[in-house]
Order: sequence, then C-alpha cells, then structure tokens
Amino acid sequence: MNEGQDWIYSDTVKDHFMNPRNFLFGDESQFDFDAVGIVGNPICGDQMKMYIKVKDDKIEDVRWKTYGCASAIASTSALSELAKGKTLDEAVKISAKDIDDYLGNLPKHKFHCSVLGHQALADAVNKYRAQK
Amino acid sequence: MVYLDYAATSPLLPEVIDAMREAEQRYFANASALHTPGHLSMNKIEEARELLAKLINADPGEIIFTSGASESNNTVIRTFEGHKICTSPLEHHSIIEAARVLGGDEKPALYSYMLANNEIGEFLPIADVVKKAHKEGGFVHSDLTQVLGKLPIDVKALDLDYATFSAHKIGGPIGVGALYVKNGVPFKPLIIGGNQEKKRRGTTYNTVGIIGFGAALKYLLDRKTWEIYDTKIRALRDKLAGRILEEIPGSSLNTDLKNSLPNILNASFEAAEGESIQLYLDAEGIIVSTGSACASGDIKPSHVLMAKTGDAEVAHSSIRFSFGLDNTEEDIDKVMAVLPGIIDRLQKISTIERKTK
Repeated sequence: MNEGQDWIYSDTVKDHFMNPRNFLFGDESQFDFDAVGIVGNPICGDQMKMYIKVKDDKIEDVRWKTYGCASAIASTSALSELAKGKTLDEAVKISAKDIDDYLGNLPKHKFHCSVLGHQALADAVNKYRAQK
Repeated sequence: MVYLDYAATSPLLPEVIDAMREAEQRYFANASALHTPGHLSMNKIEEARELLAKLINADPGEIIFTSGASESNNTVIRTFEGHKICTSPLEHHSIIEAARVLGGDEKPALYSYMLANNEIGEFLPIADVVKKAHKEGGFVHSDLTQVLGKLPIDVKALDLDYATFSAHKIGGPIGVGALYVKNGVPFKPLIIGGNQEKKRRGTTYNTVGIIGFGAALKYLLDRKTWEIYDTKIRALRDKLAGRILEEIPGSSLNTDLKNSLPNILNASFEAAEGESIQLYLDAEGIIVSTGSACASGDIKPSHVLMAKTGDAEVAHSSIRFSFGLDNTEEDIDKVMAVLPGIIDRLQKISTIERKTK
C-alpha cells in the first residue's frame, strides 16, 4: 500500500483530511441551505450530513459535516468538490467509486465503511425534490 | 516525536541493542548442540531464564520461552482443549478467540484473567477468581504482558498456575515471550517435534531474541522500574488526565486512575472519532492509539471499551496514551498544546452535537 509513503493513506486523502474543503464549521445556521441529507450512524463509527444550496436545478453550493475516521472526512470533502456545479440528476449519480477514483487508493477495508457521503447527497437531493 | 504508545510496543533499550549485537556475533550456534559454541549459547539462554524467574518469583524450570504473548496464551488454552474455559471480557483476542474455538465442557476448568488490561490499564480482581478456581479444582492463567516491569510480580503469592509475558513491551525485541508453567500442572506443547524447552516447545532456540529479552529483564531488575512507574510515570499520567478533563470540553476517562497500571490512560472525546484524533496527533508528531473500529480494520470498536463502557460511540471516540520511562513533563505540554484544538475542530465539523460542556 502506498509504497514509499510514510502515511497510511495516499497524499490526496491526506490533503483532504488535513485540509478538508467546504465543511460546515459550527452550527447549521452558518449556511443557507435548501435541503440536508444524512447517512450512517455514530454507533457504527461514521455519519455524514450533506447540505445543498440549489439554483436552476444545479448544486450551487454545498457544505458537509462528518463524524468519522480520516477516510470518512477525506471522502466527504472530496464529494463536496465533485458535487459543486453538478445538476441534480448528475449529483445523485455520483458513486462511491467516483469518490474513490477522485481520491485514489483508499484502503479496501476503508472503502466499504467510510465512503458513504454520496448517499447523504442523494438523500439531500431527494428531500429537495420532495419539498418542492 | 512524542511517543505515547508503549503499551503497543516499546523501542529497544540501548542495553538490549548492545546485547543482541554481541549475541549475533558470538552466540550464533544452535543452543541445543553439544559443542562449545552451542553450550555457550545455552548458558546465555539460561541466564535470561534465571532473570525472569527471579523477577516473578518462579523456579527457572517453570519458564518456557515462546515467540510472544499470543503464543503463550494459545499454549495454555490449547492445553485445556475440550475443557471449560472461563475468561474475563477484557482478555486479549489470543485468549478470547482461542477459548471460543477450543473450549468445551470437561473438567477441570481453566480460568484466564489478566491482572491488568492493555487498553484501559485497569486491574481485574483476580484474587477472587484464583480462590474460586482452586476451590473447585480448576486452574488459573493470567496474562501479565502489561504488568511486567510496571508492578512487582510474585506468581507464588498470586497463586497462579500459568502466566504470560512478552519482551517487546519492556524494551526487548518483538518475537520473544515467555510462559510460566507451575511445576506439576497440566501442559501440552503447542509446537511438537523437538526436545527444546524440556520437550515443552519444539523449534530451535531463538538465542539472540532471548538474550535481548534477558537484557531487558536485567534492566527492570537493576532499576526496579516498578518504583519509577509508581512515582514519576504515575504523576505524568495523572497530570495528563487532569489537564484533559480540565481543558477539553466533552472529554471523559475510561481508565479509573485509582485502580489501574500507572502508565496507561484511556480517554474519550465526545463527538470526535478516534482514528481522526489519532491521525491529527500523528501529523503533529504525537503517537497514540485508539479503540475505534476504523483503526483496527474491523467493523466493531474495541471489545474492551465496549465491555467497560457499553457505549459504541464512547469506544469509537477513545484514545489510549501509554507511557514509558522516557516520557517527560514536556511531552504532556506538547500533547496539550495541540489536542484541545484537534478535538474542538473535530467536534465542530461533527454530525453529533456535543452534549456535555
């Protein structure tokens, strides 16, 4: 795994873990969102929330919160970059594999338990559509 | 680097490195051989055996060198294959898993209770277990891996039938351990097919490793390390515990400071996940471990923290700080210079609201 590196994860994962993008710092009132989706459970060790701001059927802006391990934080951060600017139809199609490809080489045992954010995003889109 | 993961493994003591380097050059011969180099190697192995015997108040003949604590534990459980095996919920996997696979209903029973746990450091009331076990004609094993060097040990006073030890938790090499087997108790070798260790464990003696273990044992004896742990290290551990509780909102201790090894502190941080804490600390050069599932490659968090707290969230959010003799007050300051910020940041991006102040 990651031969020659001194860290358990790839450089991209480390970067998104150390410098996460688009996270919602503090309480929810910090961000004017149209819908929020949730996935996971703290009992299982990982939980994500995705907050979306929609304009003209596109994700204009996005924030997230995560309780979880380094790859959970990094993968949600990566997802937020992937989701921005996408149409809602495109957004719900973002898969765990897309996130993994974007980050490059999450360890296999991490992939299943911590790459969940896309489900929270789909949940947010569905809620947005339901409330319209 | 601030190393606070001594309970996982400890760096080799300089005395151990010197002894092992000399052994690589001088004591390479097969210790079972009758020729002079073989005999000299065997003498060094017996020296190490006598040191451990002295340290735990056993006869040298009651000590078998093994490849480590897991082998020692497995050997005892395997001896009681088909028998009733009772263990505490805090045992190492090499006890719990082996007992699950090999245990049965036959009598006499084996009781396996560690004296102190590796993840939270807490003492188990083994005196009661020993009394109960012996009264009904059973036998008692105790995994003393974390205790060696941290407390004085007297296997006779503890009235144990078997006890497990490891070299790499005391500044010795990985891959060497020992098993105390009281004279006259049941024993089945795990490795069959050699006369080594009085036919109790086949395979060529790991001379260099055992000599390294011996050098670490001598270090413990010469310095009475348990006295340093009881004073200097306990003070450091308690200081870190106090500062964590005082300076970090949502923190709690999983270790009872009054009933634990002096070098282990396990704490949980509400709404912050353990692996993330561990890796943010790692990025700051501070080395700790966690009971979070993520760190173990398992989907469940530490069975020890689950048994202790009954709360998966607390287990996922746990960090173990384990001290060695080289740690200093400055190390505590370095931890506390970054830990509150790391926890605050994780709590602020967490999906979970911190309930406590």
